[in-house]
Amino acid sequence: MAEMLKVENLKKAFGKNEVLTGIDGVVNSGQVIVVIGPSGGGKSTFLRCLNLLENPTSGKIAFEGQDLTQLPEKKLDDIREKMGMVFQSFNLFSNMNVMDNLTLAPKRVKGEDEAQAQKKALELLERVGLAEKKDAFPESLSGGQQQRVAIARALAMDPDVMLFDEPTSALDPEMVGEVLKVMQDLAHSGMTMVVVTHEMGFARQVADEVWFMDGGDIAEKGTPEQIFEHPQNERTKDFLSRILAQ
Amino acid sequence: MKLKKISLWLTALVCLLGIFAVLAPSGQVQAADNSLQRVKDKGTLVMGTSPDYPPYEFITKVNGKNQVVGMDVDVAHKIAKDLGVKLVIKQMDFDSLLVALETHKVDMVLSAMTPTEERKQSVDFSQVYYDAGQAIIVRKQDLHLYKDKNSFAGKQVGVQTGSLQQDLAKKQMKQSHLKALTKVTDLILSLETNKIDGIVAEDAVAQAYVANDSRLAKIDAKFDLGGDENGTAIAFAKNSGTLVTAVNHSIDQIKQQKLTKQYINDAGKYMATNTENKSMFNYWSYFAKGVGYTLLITAISVVIGIILGTVFALGRLSRKAILHYPAVWYIEFVRGTPLMIQVMFVYFGVGLLWNNIPAFFAGVVAVALNSAAYVAEYIRGGIDSVPVGQVEAARSLGMSQRDTMQTIVLPQAIKIIWPSLGNEFISLIKESSIVSIIGVTDLIYQLRAVQAATYRGVAPIAVAMVLYFIMTFTLSRILNHAERKMQHG
Repeated sequence: MAEMLKVENLKKAFGKNEVLTGIDGVVNSGQVIVVIGPSGGGKSTFLRCLNLLENPTSGKIAFEGQDLTQLPEKKLDDIREKMGMVFQSFNLFSNMNVMDNLTLAPKRVKGEDEAQAQKKALELLERVGLAEKKDAFPESLSGGQQQRVAIARALAMDPDVMLFDEPTSALDPEMVGEVLKVMQDLAHSGMTMVVVTHEMGFARQVADEVWFMDGGDIAEKGTPEQIFEHPQNERTKDFLSRILAQ
Repeated sequence: MKLKKISLWLTALVCLLGIFAVLAPSGQVQAADNSLQRVKDKGTLVMGTSPDYPPYEFITKVNGKNQVVGMDVDVAHKIAKDLGVKLVIKQMDFDSLLVALETHKVDMVLSAMTPTEERKQSVDFSQVYYDAGQAIIVRKQDLHLYKDKNSFAGKQVGVQTGSLQQDLAKKQMKQSHLKALTKVTDLILSLETNKIDGIVAEDAVAQAYVANDSRLAKIDAKFDLGGDENGTAIAFAKNSGTLVTAVNHSIDQIKQQKLTKQYINDAGKYMATNTENKSMFNYWSYFAKGVGYTLLITAISVVIGIILGTVFALGRLSRKAILHYPAVWYIEFVRGTPLMIQVMFVYFGVGLLWNNIPAFFAGVVAVALNSAAYVAEYIRGGIDSVPVGQVEAARSLGMSQRDTMQTIVLPQAIKIIWPSLGNEFISLIKESSIVSIIGVTDLIYQLRAVQAATYRGVAPIAVAMVLYFIMTFTLSRILNHAERKMQHG
């Protein structure tokens, strides 16, 4: 399997506060990586470093063979285009309707024409079950609907990898399922994904590999079975026992 | 970091002082006197005056057009004719006249000006062309209370700011409380509404008001007048010897032929036509012109203010020091100084470098530059209030910083800023009135003109007030409508 993302000794500090103390990891093409761990363990920061929304303090991030930390800002835009990101708080553009949310970047960044962009947007909306909402504004949609639109918006750029930053944490419980379903279908279609989440069920069923992060580094990596059934690290055991006791 | 900041501020301060140093040199270092030649070369003689002082200078309608007339204007016409050039009249506040001379905005000042020692320090004077006594205007029903200047002990006495009468009253009416206002029309209004008890004015002026207003009367002030402190002369910039000599020649003729008597008679006729119909409706064209200019100044300033304000807001938000600090300095400096001073600085200060800067242009530039600083802060606030997640989402899709700003941040910020921009627009309608001090014919200026023309104080103020209200109220309705549409769009 081809190496898509390779992280080496990645460190990030906010002032004196060291959030990432040295992360190593490889994401292969077509793999689904689920990152779990306690809050404040650096999961989101790690994910945001991958497309350089946060500037790492040191270390290397190789994406399709290029070290992103060495690239100038202009080149980074070309890289980010290939790395879709889904946020905890959806972040749909509130000044545009659903269709424009999906077609803006393909038109502006990739130079697609209106008809081409709309056609693809409609296909994607159908895929997430929201074709009838194409003219709606974000504020009129439920949280679950907004997140599905946000996933479709990221897919509209034809990314090579999708990054999910706690995509269901801001949702009412009854809406979590519809978003996870879309993500599951996406995983089955062969998309490379890095997912930060607290949904252990999703991790178990969909992940090829689970990374357990705590205190700024990856304490343990393994298949879902290894991590959930036979955790080796004390911190992993401790975390899982607290989670599963709930 | 701290040190760097302080040093940047110091650089800013030094730069500012540098600007003042460049603008500071006064006309006194001029070497050769080419004043007469200059006037002849350009073919125009520019006269500065404050036309609120009948019978010397005031505004009247001649063949349906507003025109400055009066004895001083006739004198100026005679001089221009003798020099073989065209007379151009520039109107401005009395206070601004000497500055206008020093900055060469005008070639000469005829505004019933007395050649005092203080004034001679900064300008040259022609010989005296008209001798007038000093009078005190009082309410007719109080006429029996007063005999001369000494009757006003403990009373409120009005004078025009910067006038000879102010000096005289200061020195010789020490027992009285002085109240100085810029406009004679305002003084008359104060007298009629019992704010003051008398106005020191030249006899000819006093006579004009008394003749046209039955509620007024005048008495002889009986000041002790020195040789120079009597009569009126023409003021020129320093080192205008050749021009002064030529003008003195014309004045000799005026004196020999006793032309001033005829000039005053003519002025009296204009004043009579002015007072035939004092109805405000008769002066609707004055007010219409004022409203037109006020709206024009405001509209241009708003457009420039928004464009420049956006530039400064983006500059202030920039992480690059070379963009950030100039924007911060500009915004802080402009917001920290009064608009009135900025208007005067642009007109007179910049006028040193650019001689013929039109008053309208200077006024619009000053108001627009002022507005830009405030708009910049509104826009910055609006941009700051767009959630950071919106930017991150756009950047994660590969959109550049510029694209993100244009398509995501600014459109959202506009919605937030709109109400503040509307308020700025409305307050500009009101605040732009300050340009009247440099002679731009906005609504306030026209209000003064109507006051001077009709000898009525309150009615023009009421009309102007209602007009301002109609403008601001209509605008705020329109803006509210646009805001509602935008929220639904």
